[in-house]
Amino acid sequence: MDNSREYRYLQVFHQVTRMISMVRDSHQVMANIVHSLPELLAIDACTIRLLDQASGAFVLGAAAGLSPEYLARPDVDSRETIATAASGHPVAMRAVADSPHRSFREAALREGIESVLTLPIAFQERVIGIMRLLTRTPREFAEDEILFSVALAEQIGIAISNGRMFRQLEQQVDFLHELQSISQLVNSTLDLDRVLQTIVELLPRSLRAQGCTIRLLTPQSNDLVLAASAGLSPEYLDRGEVVDEKNTIQALRGEAVAIQDVARDDRVQYHEHMEKEGIRSLLAVPIKVMDEVIGIIRVLARERRTFSQTEIDFSLAVAEAGGSAITNARTYRKITLLFNQIEEHERFLANILDCIRPQLLVVDRQGRAVMANRAFLEINGLQESEFLGMEYGRLCQAVEGNPPCPMQQVMTTGRMAISVQQVQAEDGTRWYERTATPMTGESGAIEFVIEIIRDITAQRRLEAEQAERSKLAGVIEMAGAVAHEINSPLFAALGTAQMMEGDLAGSELEEDIRTVVRNLKTISELTAKMTVMTGYSSRDYVGETRIVDL
Amino acid sequence: MAEILVLDDVFDATVLVGKILTRKGHTVHTFTEEDAALEFVKAHPVDLAILDIKLQKMSGIEVLGLMKQACPTMHAIMLTGYPTVETAREAMQLGADEYCVKPIDKDELEDKVEKVLKGKK
Repeated sequence: MDNSREYRYLQVFHQVTRMISMVRDSHQVMANIVHSLPELLAIDACTIRLLDQASGAFVLGAAAGLSPEYLARPDVDSRETIATAASGHPVAMRAVADSPHRSFREAALREGIESVLTLPIAFQERVIGIMRLLTRTPREFAEDEILFSVALAEQIGIAISNGRMFRQLEQQVDFLHELQSISQLVNSTLDLDRVLQTIVELLPRSLRAQGCTIRLLTPQSNDLVLAASAGLSPEYLDRGEVVDEKNTIQALRGEAVAIQDVARDDRVQYHEHMEKEGIRSLLAVPIKVMDEVIGIIRVLARERRTFSQTEIDFSLAVAEAGGSAITNARTYRKITLLFNQIEEHERFLANILDCIRPQLLVVDRQGRAVMANRAFLEINGLQESEFLGMEYGRLCQAVEGNPPCPMQQVMTTGRMAISVQQVQAEDGTRWYERTATPMTGESGAIEFVIEIIRDITAQRRLEAEQAERSKLAGVIEMAGAVAHEINSPLFAALGTAQMMEGDLAGSELEEDIRTVVRNLKTISELTAKMTVMTGYSSRDYVGETRIVDL
Repeated sequence: MAEILVLDDVFDATVLVGKILTRKGHTVHTFTEEDAALEFVKAHPVDLAILDIKLQKMSGIEVLGLMKQACPTMHAIMLTGYPTVETAREAMQLGADEYCVKPIDKDELEDKVEKVLKGKK
C-alpha cells in the first residue's frame, strides 16, 4: 500500500468518523454512510441491512445508488454469502455473474452490478447487520481494501449501536415522562371508569399503536371482563371470550407477551377478527397489584412491528400504575357504596324514629343532647339545630312534686330508670312516663342514655274512669241485690198486712195495721226509687249490666 | 175458677199469694223449690203459673220454658224484685203474659190474675 492510498484511507476513516460522531440517530447514520461511501471508496452503490432479531432476516436500513426494483428482490444474496457475513466474515464477489444464486444474480445483472463486497456490521462481537459495497464495473477487492472496509463497518456498527442506545435512552426518558403523566392522570381521580379510559387512550399513543383494551378479573367470579377500550370497533370487541387465548393465559400468569405477527401466531385465537380489524401486532401485559394479577392490558398495532424491551417495560410500568389506581378507585367505590348504605340505614332509622309516637331523646354521658325524633322536637317546639348539644337539664326540668328525671338515675345506678311526671296543661293535668335506658360501650361504661317519653294521660284517665265504673257497678249491683232481697219479703209483709187491714176493719187494731201498711208502702216506694235510680244510671255508665227502665 | 201454681223462693211470698188468690176462689198450689213445681205441672196441668225470677237452683225464666213445654196452654205471670230488660224480654219470648215488679199491690195482683185468666177464655 503506498502512502497516498494509506492517507486516502485515513481521510475516508476520518470523514466517516466525523460524520457518524455528529449524528445520533442510527437511521441518519446509515443514510449518511450509504450516500458518502460511493464517492469515498470509488464504488457505485452501498446498502446497509440490519438484523431483525425476531425473523433472523437482514432488513434494509439504508441504500444509495440502486433502483427500488433491485432493493425489493426477495433474497439479498445466496444463503452462503449471508451466513458467512452473519458469522462475522466479509465476502468479496468479483463477478456476480458467477453467483450460484439465480434470483440474486438476475436482479444484480439487471441492475448492472458486477462486483459486491459484503461486510458484517458487528458490535461487541455480535453481528447486528451487513453492509454491501457494489460496483458496476468489475472490481477485485484487495486485502487491505477489505480490511479497511471491515474496520469501517465496525465503526458503523458502533455508530448504529450508539444511535440505537441513544434512541433507547431518549425513548426511555420519553416513556418516563409519559409514565409520569399517565400516573398523574390515573391517580388524579377515584372514578374507576376515568382511570381505565385514561390508560386505554394514552398507552397506545405512547407506543405508536392504534388500539387498547383493559380486561379485569371480577373479584367474585374471577371472570375476565372487558372494562375499557379505545380505537377498536364494537364488532371486534364482541368477537368472544379471550380467556382461553394463549396470550391471555400467559399475561394472566404475570408475563408480558409481544406478538409481532398476529396472523401467524398460535397465541392468538381470533385471526379473522384481527385481520378484519387490521391488527398486525399485539402486546399483552398483566395488571398487577402486590404480585397479584387483577387484569390485562392489550395494545394493538395496525402496522406489523416489534415491541422493544423498553416499550414492554414501559407498558408494564403503566399497567402497574394503573393497577394501583384501579385498586384505589375500586376501594373508593366500595367505600362510597358502604357510605351510601350507612347513610341509607341512618335515614331509614331516622324515619322509623320519626314515625314512633312517643318522644325519643338521646343524650351523651355529659348530658348533652345528641339525637331526638320528630315527636320530641315538635312537642317541645325545638329545631334540630338548636336542640343538638343542649343540656339535658333544659330538656327535662324538675317540677316540684315530681320524681327526678330518670337520666340522672341511670347515670348513678347504671340501670334503666322510669319516672312518671305530671304537667299542668291547658286541657288539664297531663302525665308523662319517662323511661331512660343506658347504652354502654365496649368497656361497659355508659356512653349514651336513651330516653323514651310516653304521654300516658289517656291511660291515666281511662284508669280513673274504670275505677269510677267499678265503683258505680258495685253500687248498682248492691242496689239490685237490695231491691231483690228486700222486695220479696216486703211483698209478703205488705200483702199480708193489706189482707189483715181488710180483716181488721172496724176493730181497734185497724189504725195500727194501717200504720204498718203505710210504712211498708213507704219502704216499697224507696226500693222502687232505688231501682229507678240504678236503671237511669246504667244507661250512661254500665254497658253490660242494665237495669230495666221503669 | 182456676188452677194456679205459685213458685217463689221466699216461703211467705207463696203463702201470701196463695191466700189472696184462694180468697178469690182459685185453687192455689204453692212451691219454694222449682223441681217440685215442675213435677207438679207435668202431673197436673194448671191454668196459670206465678213465677218468681230469682229461685234457688234455676232462674224463673228457665222454669217458665220447661213448664211451657209440659203444659203449652198454661198462662204465666212473672214476679221479680230485680227487674231487668233481659229477663223481661226472655219471659215475653217464652210466652209470659205479665211481668210484674215486687212489691206488687194486692189489688193489682188480683186484677192482673183476673185479666190473664180472662184472656185465656
